[in-house]
Amino acid sequence: MDAPDVPVAPMLDMAFQLLTFFVLTYRPAPVEGQFMMNLLPPQPVTAEAAAATEAAATNDLPATLRTLPVVLRADDQGRLAQINIAEFDVSDDPKALAAELDHQLLDPDAPFDQTLIKVDPNLRYSELMTIINAFTDAFIRAKKEPKLSFDELRAGDGA
Amino acid sequence: MSGAAISKEKAEPNLTPLLDIVFQLITFFMLVINFANDNYDQRINLPDAGSARPVEDDSRIAQDRLVLNVDSEGRMLKGDRILGIDEAAQAIRHEADLVKLGLRTSGVKFDSAVDTLPTTIILRADKETTFGAVLGIIKACQSQGFRKFALKAMIRS
Repeated sequence: MDAPDVPVAPMLDMAFQLLTFFVLTYRPAPVEGQFMMNLLPPQPVTAEAAAATEAAATNDLPATLRTLPVVLRADDQGRLAQINIAEFDVSDDPKALAAELDHQLLDPDAPFDQTLIKVDPNLRYSELMTIINAFTDAFIRAKKEPKLSFDELRAGDGA
Repeated sequence: MSGAAISKEKAEPNLTPLLDIVFQLITFFMLVINFANDNYDQRINLPDAGSARPVEDDSRIAQDRLVLNVDSEGRMLKGDRILGIDEAAQAIRHEADLVKLGLRTSGVKFDSAVDTLPTTIILRADKETTFGAVLGIIKACQSQGFRKFALKAMIRS
């Protein structure tokens, strides 16, 4: 008894065409990550006070004492020109910045658990993300939940 | 005579294993193709950040998110339209109204003065744009009651 002769070649042709389509349209998906933040609304009071209002319910220590003030200034090209952490200038070298952040966040006498970053409006977004990245790393090293908020650096701020 | 007998035999390679392999390859490419990324604007060059957290459960917040793309000039991209800050604020207000309407129809009481919107703003800003432009979009969102933000970056160590 003869076996039924099913033509496989046309099916293979179609399969190859489908395969060609998928190979040509395949594009490796870029791996996107994100920084989750709860950002405070604009208020007429200073940003420090706003941060204090939010944090007051969760800790007896005044929130202004738990907020690490940071100022980022940009040069004419929008690159990072100056980093000021707790009123001290810090190098933008990644290792020096990480060391300073570790010093601040791990210091038992300075129980910072959140950061308010005042940013020059002309600063490039990529430069800001580099700083956010460094802060997130530092918070994780200090075993604290990263709490970051932003405000616009105005003339006279952090001078 | 023996030569005529040999010429009648057909050489038929067994194509079934080859077909199996091809179907497996097709299945692989179909699975790895990421249709969700079609929602993301490819004109945006995201900044790099090694510590950015991967999106763990995208489907969980799929209903509760609003993706905003900001180009290198600080303008918001919405489909083919390029919106300035005023038009962007108007578009954000429109989206906020839709979210509030959805909350009302689902029976959730919402007070604009007190409550915040549950929607997460997925902010995809170009790395060449300025903080001032991004802050303008953030403030427009905050003024409408949005509080949760996810700043997107490429995960590269």
